[in-house]
Amino acid sequence: MPHDGSGPTTRANWSPYDNNGGTVLAVAGEDYVVCAADTRMSTGYNILTRDYKKIDQMSDKCVLASAGFMADAVTLKKTLKARCTTYEFQNDKPMGCVSFAQMLSNTLYYRRFFPYYTFNIVAGLDAEGKGAVFTYDAVGSYERTNYSCQGSGQGLIMPVLDNQLKTVSPLVLPAQSSATPLSESEAVDLVKDCFATAGERDIYTGDTVEIWIINKDGVRKEYQELKLD
Amino acid sequence: MSGIGTGYDLSTTTYSPDGKVFQVDYACKAVDNGGLALGIKCSDGVVLGVEKLLPFKMLVPGSNRRIAPVDRHAGMAGAGLAPDARQIMSRARSECANYKSFYGDKIPSKILADRMANYLHMFTLYWSVRPFGAAVLLAVRDPATGKYELYLLEPSGECQRYHGMAIGKGRQAAKNEVEKLKLGEMSCLEAVKEAARIIVTTHDEKDKDYECELAWICDDSGGEFKKVPKDIADEAIAAAKRALEDDDAMDAD
Amino acid sequence: MIPTRVSHNPIIGPGVVPFGVDPAYDAQYKLNQAPRSHVASHGQGKPFTVEPGPHQRTQYPYVTGTTVLGCKYKDGVMIACDTLCCYGSTKRYKSVERIKKVNSSTIISFTGELSDFHYIVSLLEELDTTDYCEDDGSELAPWEIHSYLCRVMYNRRNKFDPLWNSLVVAGVKHGRTFLGTVGMIGQHYEDSHLAAGFGNHMARPLFREKHTDDMSEEDARKLMEDCLRACLMRDKTMMNKFQIAKVTAGGLEISEPFQVPMNWGYEKFKDPTKHAVGAW
Repeated sequence: MPHDGSGPTTRANWSPYDNNGGTVLAVAGEDYVVCAADTRMSTGYNILTRDYKKIDQMSDKCVLASAGFMADAVTLKKTLKARCTTYEFQNDKPMGCVSFAQMLSNTLYYRRFFPYYTFNIVAGLDAEGKGAVFTYDAVGSYERTNYSCQGSGQGLIMPVLDNQLKTVSPLVLPAQSSATPLSESEAVDLVKDCFATAGERDIYTGDTVEIWIINKDGVRKEYQELKLD
Repeated sequence: MSGIGTGYDLSTTTYSPDGKVFQVDYACKAVDNGGLALGIKCSDGVVLGVEKLLPFKMLVPGSNRRIAPVDRHAGMAGAGLAPDARQIMSRARSECANYKSFYGDKIPSKILADRMANYLHMFTLYWSVRPFGAAVLLAVRDPATGKYELYLLEPSGECQRYHGMAIGKGRQAAKNEVEKLKLGEMSCLEAVKEAARIIVTTHDEKDKDYECELAWICDDSGGEFKKVPKDIADEAIAAAKRALEDDDAMDAD
Repeated sequence: MIPTRVSHNPIIGPGVVPFGVDPAYDAQYKLNQAPRSHVASHGQGKPFTVEPGPHQRTQYPYVTGTTVLGCKYKDGVMIACDTLCCYGSTKRYKSVERIKKVNSSTIISFTGELSDFHYIVSLLEELDTTDYCEDDGSELAPWEIHSYLCRVMYNRRNKFDPLWNSLVVAGVKHGRTFLGTVGMIGQHYEDSHLAAGFGNHMARPLFREKHTDDMSEEDARKLMEDCLRACLMRDKTMMNKFQIAKVTAGGLEISEPFQVPMNWGYEKFKDPTKHAVGAW
């Protein structure tokens, strides 16, 4: 069958993509970063499993959270994890989160004509030990921010974060830190509230929220139950 | 151009004046110098054994195996250069997998032997390659007839079916011993003992350590090629060594 | 020397071959992609290839199996499905063994295209033979099989040539009970109960209500039969001839086909519209 538009084209009745839903979120503080995601995996109106972890540790002070199509997310994480391991062997140090952020962008952009259908947030501590959050689109454009939310609950959570975490304008001189002024425990509480809120309205967000906290002492995890409906 | 081959041995594409391909002869020499490998076909299966020479005391026991299955119903024992033997086995595995994926059934013994012979023969035809410095014994349970068969594949591409065969160092003595056995009446369980005995007795004291590797394919193993179970193998080897020591003691008297 | 290609190759990877690894395969692939004339090229045709026409990929499944259910229980894991494969809506093959043993600790089953499942089984058999040839007694664990299948499915969807199946993998090894599934585009998960295909709608709510990880084998079997009955009543491509397979630390067992007792004589079935105002 010619595919030049001269005849009818057969179109496959399947899609290489699916949206498995889920919300990911991260908040950067002066000396910590909080990264959170729910553990629901859905397709359409079905919940496939209530225990799908969306956050993975990539190097000692850097985690990656991905919502979207889970098969792509898993593949992406496997690739990146392998590269982090190689990097560590070759450079005798774990990959920093700023380098990791750039690498993720490159990886996504390399596949821009058949993208990874994933909505990513990288959270970690930078070289100075400050919290860092990087937020992406599916084809690799990214920016460093002090908070971000992606996935199915984005529309519900992002305005709350904007309201609660708005920081000093970058135009103010002398420059001031853009990290959120909240303390670590305040940030964790905020994150829990955000997920409880999103879980009320978004059918793709629920079950459990998994919260990773990275600070100078290392990595810690907290869990909170969400609604199961 | 003087010396052993006087220039006729540089390539397999050159015959010597008396019609030999020296490269193939050299390959056979490599086989003759390697540790003994023997195969015994008995009433209910085939037993393969090798005398694996250990050039180094620190080698981990059981490593660098010289006998291996190539499919569930076929296995090989190599003599000569171990890497060459491994390459042959790897090809045999491909042949088995390939046949299975094409015809959906296990490869018949004759076809496997034929294809492997062709493969080995290929390496005697072109100047750019060298013949394998290894020969292998092939034990198969033919999937159609359920009969057990033993083949020998040589570097020349020669392939013959045998009741019993030995290759490598001390092969002549070992072959004599195999010929004395009543193969038609013997079970694999007995043959394992005989194989261990032959390997132990023909072992040359000059060579340092060795390991006796035994594998079989028979009704007891469910028609699958595998190592002889550890207890049976250990007992056979221990018995063989005891017998040898007794003999030595008698000789000394 | 002609290089021999097997469908599974440890270097090339599972199920697919990327370009640049195997020149012979690249050439073959290019040939398949190239538009061909419809005039038979006598003497030049390659053996075992379908001659005219461009390379086609699977557009839809032909012969399909429906629901597979799986759940863990106290001593292990069990999966269940019927023995039917349909050609469209025709009940075409009524005695298909849809549960296959992979190795001594793993079983798999499928929904979707039967022929693709045969292909997957052949891949696993090759893999198992490779394992066997090591002759060291070790085998792939159920979760390793599952991970492998995830890559196979995902790689095939990347080639826009998917294997039209959802697979269920179950097994017990090293004291760990495993139950996982993977879909045609590579999406996968593990859970203590799951369903592939239509059973997602019919059976999983029942599982969510009644299933626990520490239930006894009888209870699990009873629940499984209830779920099968629920599916059977609503799924027209399902048949009352089932198999249940279980894996425990002691080994695996695929049951003989059996029936579940059915009753279509419920009072409310007699005049269905009477209780559904507005239906026709």
